[in-house]
Amino acid sequence: MLSEVLLVSAPGKVILHGEHAVVHGKVALAVSLNLRTFLRLQPHSNGKVDLSLPNIGIKRAWDVARLQSLDASFLEQGDVTTPTSEQVEKLKEVAGLPDDCAVTERLAVQAFLYLYLSICRKQRWTKEDLELINKWAFQGERMIHGNPSGVDNAVSTWGGALRYHQGKISSLKRSPALQILLTNTKVPRNTRALVAGVRNRLLKFPEIVAPLLTSIDAISLECERVLGEMGEAPAPEQYVVLEELIDMNQHHLNALGVGHASLDQLCQVTRARGLHSKLTGAGGGGCGITLLKPGLEQPEVEATKQALTSCGFDCLETSIGAPGVSIHSATSLDSRVQQALDGL
Amino acid sequence: MFKPIGKGFPGAMLSEVLLVSAPGKVILHGEHAVVHGKVALAVSLNLRTFLRLQPHSNGKVDLSLPNIGIKRAWDVARLQSLDASFLEQGDVTTPTSEQVEKLKEVAGLPDDCAVTERLAVQAFLYLYLSICRKQRALPSLDIVVWSELPPGAGLGSSAAYSVCLAAALLTVCEEIPNPLKDGDCVNRWTKEDLELINKWAFQGERMIHGNPSGVDNAVSTWGGALRYHQGKISSLKSKQESITSCVPDDAALGRRNGEMKLGSPALQILLTNTKVPRNTRALVAGVRNRLLKFPEIVAPLLTSIDAISLECERVLGEMGEAPAPEQYVVLEELIDMNQHHLNALGVGHASLDQLCQVTRARGLHSKLTGAGGGGCGITLLKPGLEQPEVEATKQALTSCGFDCLETSIGAPGVSIHSATSLDSRVQQALDGL
Repeated sequence: MLSEVLLVSAPGKVILHGEHAVVHGKVALAVSLNLRTFLRLQPHSNGKVDLSLPNIGIKRAWDVARLQSLDASFLEQGDVTTPTSEQVEKLKEVAGLPDDCAVTERLAVQAFLYLYLSICRKQRWTKEDLELINKWAFQGERMIHGNPSGVDNAVSTWGGALRYHQGKISSLKRSPALQILLTNTKVPRNTRALVAGVRNRLLKFPEIVAPLLTSIDAISLECERVLGEMGEAPAPEQYVVLEELIDMNQHHLNALGVGHASLDQLCQVTRARGLHSKLTGAGGGGCGITLLKPGLEQPEVEATKQALTSCGFDCLETSIGAPGVSIHSATSLDSRVQQALDGL
Repeated sequence: MFKPIGKGFPGAMLSEVLLVSAPGKVILHGEHAVVHGKVALAVSLNLRTFLRLQPHSNGKVDLSLPNIGIKRAWDVARLQSLDASFLEQGDVTTPTSEQVEKLKEVAGLPDDCAVTERLAVQAFLYLYLSICRKQRALPSLDIVVWSELPPGAGLGSSAAYSVCLAAALLTVCEEIPNPLKDGDCVNRWTKEDLELINKWAFQGERMIHGNPSGVDNAVSTWGGALRYHQGKISSLKSKQESITSCVPDDAALGRRNGEMKLGSPALQILLTNTKVPRNTRALVAGVRNRLLKFPEIVAPLLTSIDAISLECERVLGEMGEAPAPEQYVVLEELIDMNQHHLNALGVGHASLDQLCQVTRARGLHSKLTGAGGGGCGITLLKPGLEQPEVEATKQALTSCGFDCLETSIGAPGVSIHSATSLDSRVQQALDGL
């Protein structure tokens, strides 16, 4: 085992095209989002396992000895396996969380303990390594979500852009990093209700909605094609196509009934500045992405962020198609990140 | 007021005042997609053009169009003496460019005359000379035409004008009977007579537009709703039209408590004119370009719009005397989806977005109608809305700088009115006040 500090980070994800339609068998494109989660792992010899999640105020510790003494046969040896409900129950005991513990904390802790106990039981970022990371990450996701698609952990592991179609995930060979604004309207939404609403609209108006989903599929495919062709120096016409695809998909998502006044406002604010935006994910509020084509003046970008912020939204400048899970040297990290990891 | 000479007498003519009106039109669903072979639904708009025809014996033909400040007169004798063989006898024919040139001479308009005036006058003279040719002598007439429709907004104002002219001229020349009976406030012609009116109105439209589709004059003639698909105009599959006489104090046709039963229900709407000018040709070309650039994306989108038109036709056909709330919900959902599709085709505009947003904030549903890129939008007013709520919405739209009128669609087509039954506002407008 290593004894020096490890600093790793992994990106988030947004759906670029195909949300909702993907439920109905259409192609979706998922891209890594360069807002990252950072993890600092410091080996000790103090006999404790400490877990801190400053964002959500979680700070827990366990005795290594106690964990070691567990009859951990409830975690099978060997290959990556599916957590069973027995295992989940056992982990709850081991975690020793109070009954009134928040669900988020409970799930985060259980996922950690599951991975810690399972991975560290064995004695030991090639492609195979990433596949292994992804497999375990998927297990962690299953602890938290029950029945996730696997897209999120795949995008976070591999980075870039992935295509997701009828349960199958595959990488786009080449995809450029695109600068974007990620705007959170902070309007809460019920994803289940939104997905059901689309299904209901399809049932009520099959002749109208089915071709609409076909059109969205074609948008995802066209986007995939353009991203694949964008090399080192993407041409302005290619950005124009990406913008046209964004606009058309946003109108289609509105037609499916998953729009919201806050998202309309987001789109309107950016459109007034010649920028193009769409909701990402479930809709009904939530987040939107705005493409920042090359050649934009920074004051213009700042003005747009300002305008979005004054609508009451959170707005961050970042990129999509970012690198996947990465390992960092201590000195290379942003001081802001270092401080956050130090709990400041 | 003179009594008529008697039917059947060669060259006999009515000599009492005729008052006719014809509605404008809006496209309910299918604009732009119709260019690519999809179904469109065109509905009559109860903003009407009114025509008063007064026969004289003063040897003049007077034409007044107060909305656009036109007032012209011609000597009947001079018109009579023209070698009018340039207008063929017999059936309704296509105006040729020679005929147009000759009419220009006859019209005698100055060179700096506005295009609108020139076309309106030419259409009038064409219809007057063609329809009244069968008379022994061309009649002296005083014609006033006034419209509630804004011109050039894609609302069929030129077609309503042509329909009124055709109906009035055919009636005064007794080519078709006057359907107004004693005690009637309003009435309409038979199916066969309406077909003749429509044929001549189409000719008038061709004088004005060159190569029109014929939808505008058909909707203005027949009223209600029509379907237009790959060049063919047909009625919606729905109930038969029936006509009743109105009570004396129901001055205007088809207003909120309309008495006329139609092939499709009359739906209350707001008609909002953003007054943003647009280039229809460029908008149509833009859709074609988008289809060429992204065929796999746009073709299914057009298919979806086609399905919206068909679903709307189905619902309208099922809406009887008392449409159910669920049917209005469907109409609203169709409006919303089509508006998003039109935006996806690239024919939206910030002004239209604002229109939709203002109405949506009040739980109402709107879409652009026609070419987009500005122009007009329609907002469905479902039953049960409180009048203060409607007024507040109109106010909100007006303060955006838009013109907003409360009216209805699926209104009666060309109709003839008794003098006493017309709204005083309309009477005054026709009197040039």
